[in-house]
Amino acid sequence: MSEKFLEVKDLRVVYTQNRKTVQAVNGISIRLERGRTLGLVGETGAGKTTIAKAIMRILPDIAAKITGGEIWLDGVDILKLPPDEMMNVRGEKVAMIFQDPMTALNPLMTVGDQILEVIRLHDDCDKKAGMDRAGDMLELVGIPRERYAEYPHQFSGGMKQRVVIAMALACDPELLLADEPTTALDVTIQAQVLDLIRELKEKYNTSMILITHDLGVVAQTCDDVAVIYAGKIVEFGKKEDIFDHPAHPYTIGLFGSLPGMAVGEKRLHSISGLPPDPTALPEGCAFWPRCPHAVEACKGKIPTRKIRGVHFCQCVKEKEELQEVYSHGRS
Amino acid sequence: MADHSPLIEVKNLKKYFKVPSGMNHAVDEVSFEICRGQTLGVVGESGCGKSTLGRTIIRLLEATDGNVYLHGEDITHVKGHQLKQAREKMQIVFQDPYSSLNPRLRIESTIMEPLKYSGRYSSKKKMREEANRLMELVGIDERLRQSFPHELDGGRRQRVGIARALALHPDFVVCDEPVSALDVSIQAQVLNLLMDLQEQMGMAYMFVTHDLSVVRHIANDILVMYLGQAVEKAPTEELFHRTLHPYTKALLSAIPSTDIHKPMQRIRLKGEITSPINPKPGCRFAARCPYAAEQCRQPQQLTEILPDHFVKCCRCREINGL
Repeated sequence: MSEKFLEVKDLRVVYTQNRKTVQAVNGISIRLERGRTLGLVGETGAGKTTIAKAIMRILPDIAAKITGGEIWLDGVDILKLPPDEMMNVRGEKVAMIFQDPMTALNPLMTVGDQILEVIRLHDDCDKKAGMDRAGDMLELVGIPRERYAEYPHQFSGGMKQRVVIAMALACDPELLLADEPTTALDVTIQAQVLDLIRELKEKYNTSMILITHDLGVVAQTCDDVAVIYAGKIVEFGKKEDIFDHPAHPYTIGLFGSLPGMAVGEKRLHSISGLPPDPTALPEGCAFWPRCPHAVEACKGKIPTRKIRGVHFCQCVKEKEELQEVYSHGRS
Repeated sequence: MADHSPLIEVKNLKKYFKVPSGMNHAVDEVSFEICRGQTLGVVGESGCGKSTLGRTIIRLLEATDGNVYLHGEDITHVKGHQLKQAREKMQIVFQDPYSSLNPRLRIESTIMEPLKYSGRYSSKKKMREEANRLMELVGIDERLRQSFPHELDGGRRQRVGIARALALHPDFVVCDEPVSALDVSIQAQVLNLLMDLQEQMGMAYMFVTHDLSVVRHIANDILVMYLGQAVEKAPTEELFHRTLHPYTKALLSAIPSTDIHKPMQRIRLKGEITSPINPKPGCRFAARCPYAAEQCRQPQQLTEILPDHFVKCCRCREINGL
């Protein structure tokens, strides 16, 4: 069953900052079927979190503006929903796990009550039943329910993140937006949390967008991968496509930057330069100033090349050339 | 580096915190030494005391017991002028780029602060020049000079933290998860940068991290900590090729592999890190260890099982067939 569950069409978001316009998201289209996991990979400032926030509709009103595009969730264009209806979507249909567990929790409320708050906002249950469920949620993420009445500062970073996950999962959302959910965690806990997310996802057939920069996490968790650079998807494909046959020079650079577990060279192949200034994106392909294969044509219009099946890449190079770049980049 | 006398030496360092329910043994009898130009990676789960260890060494915290030697000189209890001198040689890059920068100081002023307090610079102009050089060194754009930390993303903020730590040319830098908040391409740049700087200036790093692939890349030796204690210590490749302690094995197996065709062979650890408050005398990992036995309740010693390879596990030889 390939049910189109989430469809983002040509989404554009700009931020206005000091009278400068920051183009955060520049025409992103995403399709996600029920039960699948899409990984959004990219650097800081590439617009990954902005995409998630746009889907949640929690972009800051004053600074951010959605200048184009549609977001269809289960047959409804949620960008057109009035705020009170959006409240019902948020938490119940779409939930988000935030990046920074240190600031995502209210320091003045016990962790149990924070989970209870989510449950009671969406479910008409009495306090006792709600507290029971909040306790269940804590146990689900591996925190003893005796710690219900403790405050966030009494928890370690990893445990705080689990509380955040418990809050996000409290109302069985259909779409989970996980924004770097395990970045702040240790590997053994990360493995537990990823297992947990995977189990819950399978159990409830939840779709997920996983935002991360950890390609290992992507390899272990995602079905599809979208590589994002300067607010655009530069490469999209099944996990196998991206990991076995990366085509875009940026994707190849990302793989080269990994301090691989397969040791060899001492220096990492870092991508030179810095991510572009989002207030003044370069013409054409935003990656060309850092790209080792840049040519004059990169400053023009960039075609979308189909490589195989659903595997797409935005680059001026021909498919054959890209594959060559690939073998060169890996050698 | 021909100089093989240890730059920094830590002996039986202990740091206990008094908490309402007893004593939190955050760091318990940890010993190691680092030579010039070398990197010691300290890995472990959150709450195992690796950050406390770093902070105690550079005297941000007072040690409960044990000694720290810098260039052979005991600095565990020095005060006043001597302490200031010692601190100029020891710097730290903090874990959290969000809270480790003063939100009311511009980037340039943040980097200039240590320059100002050192008294090494005669004029503001010279300080500014040095700050600019440092900014270029760590890859912060000139245009961000007058920005405030909140205008920067996490990656750039961390670079400011690194620039600040390197400002006084320290001999020893505690890197407390310096790249865990950064993206891979930037992480690679920063790791390359840290390694280049080490080559140029011969600093010793103590690299605290939970990312074992990073530590494998940058460290010469690795110290694995669990609940305040060192459970395994070995040269990097030795540790990865001949992992001996059950905890280290579990830790290594939990790294998400980028090889999509090889399913992960995970050793599942049950439960959480237990409480470091008034721990029992035996092995602290025993509650989660698949090999736990009666003798694990006895106090454990860090023993040299193989040359240069220290393990704190009484069943180590038995488990590994040595």
